[in-house]
Amino acid sequence: MWAHHIGSYVAFVQYEIRVKGHLDSRWAAVFDGLTVTREDGGTTVIHGPVVDQAALHGVLQKLRDLGVPLISVQLRPEGD
Amino acid sequence: MSEDRPTNPLIATKLHVPSARRNLVARPRLLASLEGASDARLVLVSAPAGFGKTTLVAAWLRGLADDGAAVAWVSLDERDDDPAPFWTYVLAALDAAVPGLGANVREQLEHTPTEAMLAMLVNELHGLDRDVVVVLDDFHVIDHPDIHEAVTHLVDHLPERVHVVLTSRADPPLPLARLRARGELVEIRAADLRFTADEAAAYLNDAMGLALAADDIATLDARTEGWIAALQLAALSMQGRDDVGSFIAGFAGDDRYIVDYLAGEVLHRQPEPVRRFLLHTSVLDRLHGSLCDAVTGASDGKTTLEALDRENLFVIPLDDRREWYRYHHLFADVLRARLHDEDPDAPSELHRRASAWFAAHDDPMNAVRHAAAAGDFDRAAELAELALPALRRNRQDAAIRAWEALIPESVVRVRPALAVAFVGAAMSTGAFDRAEERLRDIEQWLTLTPAAQAAAGMVVADDAQLRALPGAIEMYRAALALVGGDTAATVDHAQRVLAVAPDDDELGRAAAHALLGLAAWSEGDLERAFDEYTHGIAGMRRIGHIADILGMSIAMADIRVAQGRLRDAQRLYEQGLQLVAEHGAGPLRGSADMHVGLAEIFRERDDRDAAAAELQRAQELELFGTRQYPYRSRAVRAGLLLAEGDTEGCLALLEEAERLYDTDFSPAVRPIGARRARTHVLQGDLASARAWVRERNLSTDDELRYATEFEHITLTIIRIHERTNERELHEVSTMLDRLLAAAEAGGRGSSVIEILAVQALAFDARGDTSRALDALRRALELAEPEGYARVFDYLGPRLRTLRDAIATGSTPRRASQPGLVDPLSDRELDVLRLLRSDLSGPEIARELIVSLNTMRTHTKSIYTKLGVNNRREAVRRADELGL
Repeated sequence: MWAHHIGSYVAFVQYEIRVKGHLDSRWAAVFDGLTVTREDGGTTVIHGPVVDQAALHGVLQKLRDLGVPLISVQLRPEGD
Repeated sequence: MSEDRPTNPLIATKLHVPSARRNLVARPRLLASLEGASDARLVLVSAPAGFGKTTLVAAWLRGLADDGAAVAWVSLDERDDDPAPFWTYVLAALDAAVPGLGANVREQLEHTPTEAMLAMLVNELHGLDRDVVVVLDDFHVIDHPDIHEAVTHLVDHLPERVHVVLTSRADPPLPLARLRARGELVEIRAADLRFTADEAAAYLNDAMGLALAADDIATLDARTEGWIAALQLAALSMQGRDDVGSFIAGFAGDDRYIVDYLAGEVLHRQPEPVRRFLLHTSVLDRLHGSLCDAVTGASDGKTTLEALDRENLFVIPLDDRREWYRYHHLFADVLRARLHDEDPDAPSELHRRASAWFAAHDDPMNAVRHAAAAGDFDRAAELAELALPALRRNRQDAAIRAWEALIPESVVRVRPALAVAFVGAAMSTGAFDRAEERLRDIEQWLTLTPAAQAAAGMVVADDAQLRALPGAIEMYRAALALVGGDTAATVDHAQRVLAVAPDDDELGRAAAHALLGLAAWSEGDLERAFDEYTHGIAGMRRIGHIADILGMSIAMADIRVAQGRLRDAQRLYEQGLQLVAEHGAGPLRGSADMHVGLAEIFRERDDRDAAAAELQRAQELELFGTRQYPYRSRAVRAGLLLAEGDTEGCLALLEEAERLYDTDFSPAVRPIGARRARTHVLQGDLASARAWVRERNLSTDDELRYATEFEHITLTIIRIHERTNERELHEVSTMLDRLLAAAEAGGRGSSVIEILAVQALAFDARGDTSRALDALRRALELAEPEGYARVFDYLGPRLRTLRDAIATGSTPRRASQPGLVDPLSDRELDVLRLLRSDLSGPEIARELIVSLNTMRTHTKSIYTKLGVNNRREAVRRADELGL
């Protein structure tokens, strides 16, 4: 039972958050080690392992506080 | 140094209404939409950072203030996300807006549940004769559901002249759709706040004097999408620049995050000392000249801040004296990211210096926070531990809980004083799981010799707290045992508290006495219980905890009532009220209970006017009731209705009281269910009474305990009314003998009176009138001196007949119908005769020449006296009794 819970809730899940504008890589420290990648077309992808929903919302809140427009939030398919 | 010392900075800066900024663009279109807000309950300004939310609201309020409105402003931050600090600031802001407003509520904040506090606040707001606007700035930092719920409640109950304004980066979880539908909400959102091209032109050219061409302005407006913070940074970057055109082209052609790009430009243009100052002080939430000096190691903090203010470099003054500032949030984020990028090791040293400054300025909250941010958790823990006594005195459990999230468990583990405070703070919110485990870990330290403690790394910052530790651990254990319903363990731990707690730990010792009193009471040892409470009250009095004294007074008065000492109980309630009056801060939690207690005593003495007056007073103070108040007030009212013969009304109130029944850990010695069963008996509804007996699983063979005494007396009353046979009546009498002996041995005068009266009924039912009268005579002799008058209410009309017989010195009319406590009247015997026939109800009424209603009244009375529920049973029972 406990193992099941750990398996489904505590395992890191890969998220991909796309925002408008190019974020310098120095912001990676603010996002607790997530990778910040700039894309053509003036967008930035913040991606990496997120421990749970609370952590994901923490990242989104930081983006909100920076006034960075959010474009999409996606779960990366497993095996990526 | 001393003139640098900020005066009460926290309160002042948080309640400061932002002053007008230089270079402001007038925004008549937005102010016009806010004009309509004078009808709205709620104004919501919802947009991301840097959209000018705060500036707009402040500009609007300056207009309102000129019209005579009062403004209560709170600048919220993350640390206010807990009901205690949140409401403290809101009430302080109201007081600053309208001196004296909310003063009563503030006095009570510590003792009053949120709903009651809100009711009082709404009450005070209704008394206002001017408009008041309450602004909660940066409401997005609030996540606590209790605060959301309370603010919703407040908005729903605002009087017409009071308005709430929220600024937030995210829509708050309030019922916005409902408010919107009712026209009670005015919203200003990002689309409204964005600078239009005209506003951008007004700002860049008129306010900032840049003289840009229309094309350039259009380019900048498009690139920033009217985001005001970005336009401000752009303007700062362009000031004094020769190549404005190439700057705009470069900016427009760049995809970088706007604030990052522009802040970089602005920073780049600052002289190196200013640039360093900005980066290094970015670790601070609030800026003060002397604090900045401590962090930067320089001595120009004050003048630098003033210069930044003049140049509008994103510092925002937090008070009128321009002592405290903060950076604009967006700018601060960029500065911090750059500081970390340039020198990853710098922040922790800067935080360490900030912590030292706050510690020296007697601000443990910020000192601990900065120490933790520096990663110096040992220092954070030490500062926290030293601050504990003051925080406990002010009941700042929320602050202690916040520290638990900041300081790692491994650091707390070796600091027993801090660890035990964290356990207590968690328990104060009802989090009991793991508490015992944590207490046991802490206790391990106490088993070691000082040398072994030191070797194992134990850290103690304050020896006094170490001495108090054993008592604190046992006190929390006693509380855990009480919550778990384990009386014996509660007593054990409470006694240990008294054995180990230092003499000056008044609160701990008084609380232990109260727990011992509670346990003794539950076991029926009334005198010892009373003694323990007396000690508890003496201790609480020495430290001025009046509300706790009221709580104990309720228990002590209950004990005196059980002992049959109504006058002593009355005196306890009166002393409680006296104490509150002497305290002089208005009613306290428990005040309402004092009046309800008095009402109950007056009811028992049959002084119904006095009882009603006390109930009235209690109701006026309803907000100051303990958890017991809701059920107690209804039970007294039920008793008053019963005295008037209104059994239906009595029953309805008892049912309400039963739903609200909460003895707050006091023993349930007079449960409402038993009182309800007695009322059913009076109504002749023996089926319901029997159902209660089954539900409680009561029998005349039961072992007797104080806790179930009232229920067992109730059982005997039901059995006697069931008109059982001689053998069963004998069993009832035996149980009554046992009950009487136990009550006399336990000194429970109140029960003795009642049991003797029930014995009278039992003897009477068995046809032994002389012993019945003897028993009742004894009951009356005991009842008289204390003024008991209504103690026999639940025992029915036959007891009245017996009492009248004693009063007139006559022999009561022998129950001419053996086996019936209450004989049928002649008219009822006529109806009974016809009930045996085949006639219908209306036919019987015609036969007897009475109305159908009258006939039904007779029938109901017959059923009651025979203890049956329908015609068929009545006939059968009458046959059995030979009527």
